[in-house]
Parts: sequence; structure tokens; C-alpha cells
Amino acid sequence: MSDLENPEVPTMRRPWKRRLAAAALAAAAACGIAACGAAESGPPRLTWYINPDSGGQAEIARRCTEAAGGRYSIAVAQLPRESAAQREQLVRRLAANDSSIDIMSLDPPYIPEFSEAKLLAPVPPDLADRVTQGVVESAVTGASWRGRLVTVPFWANTQLLWYRRSMVAGTGLDLSQPVTWDQLIEATQAKGSQFAVQGKRAEALTVWLNALVSSAGGAIITDPSVDDPAGVRLGLADPPATEAGRVMKELTDAGIGGPSLSTAGEDANVASFEKGEAILMINWPFVWPRANESAAEGTLGAEVPGDYGWALYPRLRPDLPSAPPYGGINLGVGAFSRHPDLAYEATECITSAANQTYYFVENGNPAARESVYGDPAVLQAFPMAPVILQSLRQAAPRPQTAYYSEVSQSVQREYHPTSGIDPAATGAATAALIQEVLAKKELL
Amino acid sequence: MSTTAIPPAAPAAPAPARHRGRLSDRSRAERRLGWTLAGPAFAVMLLVTAYPILQAVYDSLFDYRLTDPDTRHFTGLTNYGVILTDGIWWTALAVTLFITVVTVAVELVLGFALALVMVKAWRRLRAVVRAAILIPYAVITVVSAFAWQYAFAPDSGFVNQWFDWVPGVAADTDWFGGTWSALLVICVTEIWKTTPFISLLLLAGLAQVPEVLQEAAKVDGATWWQRMRRVTLPNMKAAIMVALLFRSLDAFRIFDSIFVMTGGANNTESVAFLAYRQTISRLEIGMGSAVSVMLFLCVILICALFIKGFKVDLSAARGERS
Amino acid sequence: MSTREKWLWVVGGVLIVVYALFPVGWIVSLSLKSSADIANGRFLPTVVSWENYALILTGDASELFLPALRNSFGICLIATAISCVLSMFAAYAIARLDFRGKKVILSTALAVAIFPVISIVTPLFNVWRQVGLYDTWPGLIIPYLSLTLPISIWTLSAFFREIPWEMEQAAQVDGATTWQAFRKVIVPLAAPGVFTTAIIAFFIAWNDFAYGISLTSTSAARPVPAALGLFSGASQFEAPNGPVAAAAVLVTIPVVVLVLLFQRRIVAGLTNGAVKG
Repeated sequence: MSDLENPEVPTMRRPWKRRLAAAALAAAAACGIAACGAAESGPPRLTWYINPDSGGQAEIARRCTEAAGGRYSIAVAQLPRESAAQREQLVRRLAANDSSIDIMSLDPPYIPEFSEAKLLAPVPPDLADRVTQGVVESAVTGASWRGRLVTVPFWANTQLLWYRRSMVAGTGLDLSQPVTWDQLIEATQAKGSQFAVQGKRAEALTVWLNALVSSAGGAIITDPSVDDPAGVRLGLADPPATEAGRVMKELTDAGIGGPSLSTAGEDANVASFEKGEAILMINWPFVWPRANESAAEGTLGAEVPGDYGWALYPRLRPDLPSAPPYGGINLGVGAFSRHPDLAYEATECITSAANQTYYFVENGNPAARESVYGDPAVLQAFPMAPVILQSLRQAAPRPQTAYYSEVSQSVQREYHPTSGIDPAATGAATAALIQEVLAKKELL
Repeated sequence: MSTTAIPPAAPAAPAPARHRGRLSDRSRAERRLGWTLAGPAFAVMLLVTAYPILQAVYDSLFDYRLTDPDTRHFTGLTNYGVILTDGIWWTALAVTLFITVVTVAVELVLGFALALVMVKAWRRLRAVVRAAILIPYAVITVVSAFAWQYAFAPDSGFVNQWFDWVPGVAADTDWFGGTWSALLVICVTEIWKTTPFISLLLLAGLAQVPEVLQEAAKVDGATWWQRMRRVTLPNMKAAIMVALLFRSLDAFRIFDSIFVMTGGANNTESVAFLAYRQTISRLEIGMGSAVSVMLFLCVILICALFIKGFKVDLSAARGERS
Repeated sequence: MSTREKWLWVVGGVLIVVYALFPVGWIVSLSLKSSADIANGRFLPTVVSWENYALILTGDASELFLPALRNSFGICLIATAISCVLSMFAAYAIARLDFRGKKVILSTALAVAIFPVISIVTPLFNVWRQVGLYDTWPGLIIPYLSLTLPISIWTLSAFFREIPWEMEQAAQVDGATTWQAFRKVIVPLAAPGVFTTAIIAFFIAWNDFAYGISLTSTSAARPVPAALGLFSGASQFEAPNGPVAAAAVLVTIPVVVLVLLFQRRIVAGLTNGAVKG
């Protein structure tokens, strides 16, 4: 260490001052970039907490502000990407009696919890009739709790079976007819290709399990025991759930889920489907506008969108129609909003057929109103719109309970990774875990 | 000569023994001034930590869910019983300890090497090296977590393409799909980000090694390695222990990287992340507070272990970071 | 030392530079990839594209990013300023005065520094929502003090011990009071140390994530690290790697600038500023 000579001597000469000035200048410049906004005054300003999208909700907010003619204006505030995180944020704010939350874009499974905790302003009865007229049944169910409408249906999502026409050609699959999971797994395996499903430890996994259980004629929760969480009855140890576990396990063991099955979500799935690594995929309709945009930009082969085929969610039993997932967004009005009446007025504008059509066409989020599916603009942008509507009519909601978060996280914990599923035991173990967690005898 | 080793608390001269009644006017005035000056900082520190942790201890004795405040009731130590008998807690503790031990051990070796290079590097290069080494320290943990996550991701990353010649790595290796590979990436991220800090502490320690001893050893014909073992390291013991202590405590509280990279999936959950999930995600304030208190106790335990077990002289520990 | 040995150390130095800059270079490179290019499996973009920057500065994500940037700057600067002022007084007392309780203050600072943030986030959240500090600037500035104060006190005490206090005594002999001596003589001498401490405190506040995600929920106070997790791709199901990388680069620029301008003082500050020349 002979030449260790104090490298760190604080000097107090002038360069230091000059640097300080430079730093101050940099900070000031950065402050300028961030441009401090000024407060506004005028008509009541409603804040709409939206889930991230491609700008559609912001545009609808603008349109409805315009249509309100100065009675109110709507400003949007963005929530996190994951629906569980959206719920966290909203619940935390509402638990703080936050009056700045006027309208919320809510993921349906969390609606019972919001309703039970009295975080939603009651829906005016006359409005309830108007906003549910001509709305697909699964969306009305998803917007209700204890038999009453507690939120306003906005858009309704569902998953389809997507396939690459050219690539399934030689597999012997007839996708114009209902197909079963077993057939699809077998065909993919025979071809040595991939079948993209969401095996990630996330809400998507619960979505998958729920659709499988429902398609087999069962349910994750058989009795929600609305007033006493300890009385919840679960159907996870019943034969339909065993069947569901078997399919998940077999798909995994067949090695067709792709290399990142245990971390793949909707996004990773669509990427491998676009590349042609997967010939089959379970996914939401956003994959269609995405393919068209990429093809238009030239980042995806121009022929790829034309190669996309779609069909109803696969069946679990050949004799039973499938029960595809139901998703989407419903609008809730915050219990502490200063203008609940105006907020409900605004939700009616937001969910008008015209706005739902716009949102469907521009952002790829399917409407809750059935009439929208006959719109020529929709049919042109989404040739599969009739299939989406049919899928929504068959769709099964995820379990409705005020403890959905606990249920879903328990499912994810036990069913992830899918390679570890034991069809005969995992269901019962999950049911036991959920009971323990609800009784607060175990962590989650 | 370096003054690093002088503890800040040590008075410049031994203070004469004082008794309350015999304080001179001057010392009384000095004491008043001292507390007037230091009091606000002291009060603020207590206010933002002591009060919340006491509140957490209190909350941990209740069954309390934020969305269901009506059923809040006192349950005593039940929450702690639930935690201690739950496998999740022990898994999280094991994962956290694993990350702590691995990262701190690697960082110590790597940080020492960095410190040596910084001492030896060619003078003109020294400023460059020093600036470079500060960059990982200054980069936001979340940013570094995103950078490494994207690098290892099978779709957007390059690691799989670059290292597909390594056995076990293929173009489609899913690093975050398994516990051990995910932990490896998490450790790499942590090591990259925090080694500079440890190396700077060690650099300061190197400066404390008496030059005379080095020269004497050289004259005696000691090899580089012998000098390192007999002279350098023993004289740096205090600095090394302090660096170890702070990094261990820091590593034990790991949260940001896990949040970003795996979200706790595949058994990669740390204790801090577990606490976060119970309170902030699940809104189980009672249970979550109990986990928080347990985390706090663990940190105290580690600290006590170092101070009592390894006799770390904390008064030499300055310039630590939170 | 021999030329060969010298070159060995130079190589070591170059390796360190590569080590330190490589991930930063990667995130810069990633931020310059267009969304179609992002999965090209290579380190560098095929074509340099500014679309991610456009997205976060003027596009859809700007409503998320720009307020977060403003919050981060505002909250961190204020927290840094407050902790500097408070710790300046405290460190002066510790370095300069001899009084009972000095050890208590230093030990408290140490204890606060090792405190697990997660442990106090929940109670703070509960109190904040009751007193209306949730999702506000002060609601973050106050907890940030728990991060910045301890290190500020320790670092500054170290700096202050290096100051030639004879000058203060000289001033006092000239008839100045302790307070005047502090203000007129010591403050100018202490400024560089204070400034260094401020940089380090700023780094720490800038780095916070746990408080940011737990105590905020809108662009009213959400800082950048917390906002990074909220970016979305073209739809809610698509990963936002590109915009996140671009935002990550932008928040890294200030700290890199600070590091480049003040590297010597930061090292001095981190290693106590006490390796005397």
C-alpha cells in the first residue's frame, strides 16, 4: 500500500462553487421540465380513476365533459396495471374517506368487497334500469352484489381460443366445431409446437382455473356465505375441480406450454403466438388490434393477422358448453364523493352505446351492451365480434365474495407452478388453505 | 494520518466528572445550547420511527382488516402464534438470510478487490474509476432491478443469447421461473448495486493501515499475500466489521428488487416483502403489523449479534447509509 | 511498481468502469429500442428509436411520468433541505459542544438508520389517512427525514470535526457570541461539508421506493420509482419495458450528473470526509 495518498481531500476552492451553481441550474431546469400546473376553478370536477389503456377512457372523459355542457368536467387519474394493485390503491384511499374519488374503473371480482365495505355510493334505481338495458347478462351479474346493481357495466371482456390457421392445418383439428382441451393438448403435442396459456403466478392463473372448473360444471365457491366468511363452502375438492387440475397438469407435463410457462402472462403469450412459436393461444381480444397495428408498422409480417383464427373457449367435457372467463371493467361511484349524483350522471354518459362502440373499436375492449356488436364499425374492426358476444353469453364470473383477494391469492399459491399440481390433492389443499386464511389461522 | 477511527462521540479531551449540582454556568449553558441545536433533529427522528413502531406493536395485538373495521377486536399474541407456526414466515426468513449471506460475502470479496484497484489505479484513471463506482451506488434500486430483470428476461433480454454456451443456459431459459435461478438474479442485482458502497468503506479502512508496518513487512521480505494477511487485514478489522454490519442489515431488509423482479413468486419472498403484502396488499393491519414487528426484532437481533458477538465498535461506524 | 504491475491495475480499473456502467448502458440501449425491436435478443437496438421518450415526455405516459418527476424533485429537495438544516445544528452541537446526551443522539441516529422502513409504513399509513397526510408532499417528506437525517447527522459531524475551530474562538475573543461565531465564521467554512451531505441525503431520498408506493396513490405525490411500476404498454395486458427503460434513464441522469460533478466529495462524504490530506 506504499502509494496510498489521500485521494479524498475536500477542497474549498472555487470550482466547487461553480459546480454548485451548475447543479442548482440543473435542478431548476428539471423543475421547469416538470412544469408546475396551476389549480383550476369552474364546474364541479369529477375524478375518474381509470385502469391503464390506450387512451380511450381519457378520450371518453373528454367527450362526456363536452356533452355535459359545463355541468361537470371529468379528469382521469391512472391506477396501476395489475388489477390487484388497482384494488389496493382504491381501497386504501377510500379507507381514508377520500372524497376525491368520484368514479372508479373496477375489475368485477373486487366489486363485492367494495360493496360490503360500504365504499360505493348506492346506484339510483332509475339509472340501474337504464344502464342494464340490453347489457350482456354476465356483465350485469359482475356489476351486482347481493342481488342489487352496485356498479355500472362498462365493458365486458372474455377470452377466446386463438389459432394460426396455417399452422393448425395439418393437425387434424376441426376448429369450426367445439373442441376440448384434451384434443388441443394432444394435437399440439403431436405437432411438437406450443399452446400459449397464462401460467404466471398472477390473477391470470385464477382466471384460467376458474374457467376450467366452470367449464367442467363446477365452481370454486359453491356457497359464498355472504354474512360469515367462516361459512364459505368451496368446490375445489369436487370432481370438476379435479378435472380442471388434471388439464392444467397435463398441459404442463406435455411440455407444450413453452419454456416460460410459469412466468408467462398475456403479454409473453401473445409475443410467442405472433412469432409462430405457439400455434394455439388462450387470450383476450386485445391481441387482434395489436397484430394489425404491428403489421401496419411493419414490425410483424403483413400476412400474420390474416393467419389468425378464433374460436370459443375450449370445452372441458365434450358434452358441456365451455364457460369462458368474464372480465372487463364496471364503474363504481365513491361513497365519499361530493357529487355522487353528477358522478352517476357521468357514468351513464361514459357507458353510452356510442362510447362503448368507440372504446371497442379504438382500444379493443369489448362492449357490455349487446347492440354494439351489430355495429358495422365494430364488425369491420373485429370480425370475431359475434364470437366474443357468444363467449360473453356463456361466460362464468369469477367467485363473487368480499374476500376475493384471499381466494385468488390462495389459488395462485397452490396452483403455481402448474407443474406441481396434483389433480387429486391440490384442490383440497387450496380449499383448506382458503378456509384457514379466512379464519386468520394462516398467512397468505 | 487518518482520523477516521476517532469515534464522533469521543470528546476531544476527557470531560471532568460532573455532578448535577456542580455544573458550572458555562457547562450548563453549553448543555442547553447543545440540546437546543440537536433537539429538533432528535425529536424528528423519534417522531417518525419510535411512534410508528409502538403503534405497530399495539396494532399487532388486534384482528383488524382495513375493509372490515367493525369486526376489529383484541386477540393478544394470536397473530404472532399464527406467524411462527406458518411455513411462509420460515421460508421468507430463510430466503432473506440466504440473500443476506450470499450478497454480503460476495460483496466483501469483490468490494475489497475494488478498493485495492482504486488505491493502486493509475492516478489519471483514478477519478474515472471513482466516478464510475459511484454510479451503481447512486442509481435507484428500482431502476437497477428493472435493468437486470430485462437483461435476464427470455423475451427482451440478451443474457440468454450471450451465455447460451454455458451449460444449463439456453435461448429460452426462464430465470425467474425457478427459486434458485431467480434468487441468483436477485443476488446479482443486489451485489452490483451495493458493492461500491462496501468498497468505499473498505477504501477508508485501507487508509487506516499504518504505512510503517507495511514498509517493515516489506523489508522483512514478506510476500504480498503475507502482508495482506498479517498486516493489512488485521488493521482493517474494524472497518470490515462495520461494513459487514451495515450491509447485512441493509441486505436483510431487501424489498425493492424482489418487488420488481419476482413479486415474491416461486418462493423468493423476503421478510420485508411478506410484511408489505400482509398490510398493504391484503389490508390485514393486525397480522401485517405483527410481521413488521418480527422484522424489526430480527434486525435488532442481527445488530446485537454483531455488536456482542463480533465486538464491532460502532463508534467507528460513520458514513453509513440507511 | 513495475510497468507490468501498473498495467494490471489499469486493466483492473477498466474492468471496474465496465462493471459499473454496463447495466446502465443496457438500460439506455433498451430505452432506444422501438416496441417491435425490444425482443430482438441483442444488447443494442437494431435501429435507434426515440418513441419511448416521446411516449413518456409528450405521449400517453407523460401524465404519469411528468408529475412523478416533479414530485420526486420537489419532495426530495425539500426533505434534503430540511434534514440538512436540522442536522447542521445537531452536528454542530455534537462536534463542537460537550454536553450530556450527545451519545444518545448519535445512537438514536444509528438506530433510525437501521430501521426497517416496511415496519413503520403501515402505522404511518394509518395515521396519515386519519390526519389527511396520505398522498401529499408532506406525507412523504416527513418519513423521508427518517432516511436522510441519520446519515446527515453522522456525515456532518465528521465534517465539522475537521473545521479549524480556532477561528471561531478568535471571533469569540473579538467579542462575538457563540451564535455569531457560528453564523459568521463557521457556516461559510462548513458549507462544502453541508453540500456533500445534501447530495448523499438527496441520493437516499431519491432512491426510496417503499414509502413511495405505500403512502401515495395519485400523481399528487407519487414519486418516480413508484410510478415506474405503473407504466403500461399499449394495452393493460402488454408489458411496458420500453417506457420504463426510458423513464429509468431520465431519473438516472440527475444522479449521474451529481456523481460526475462531485465524485470526490461524495466519496469523501461516504467515507466520513475524514481521510485527511
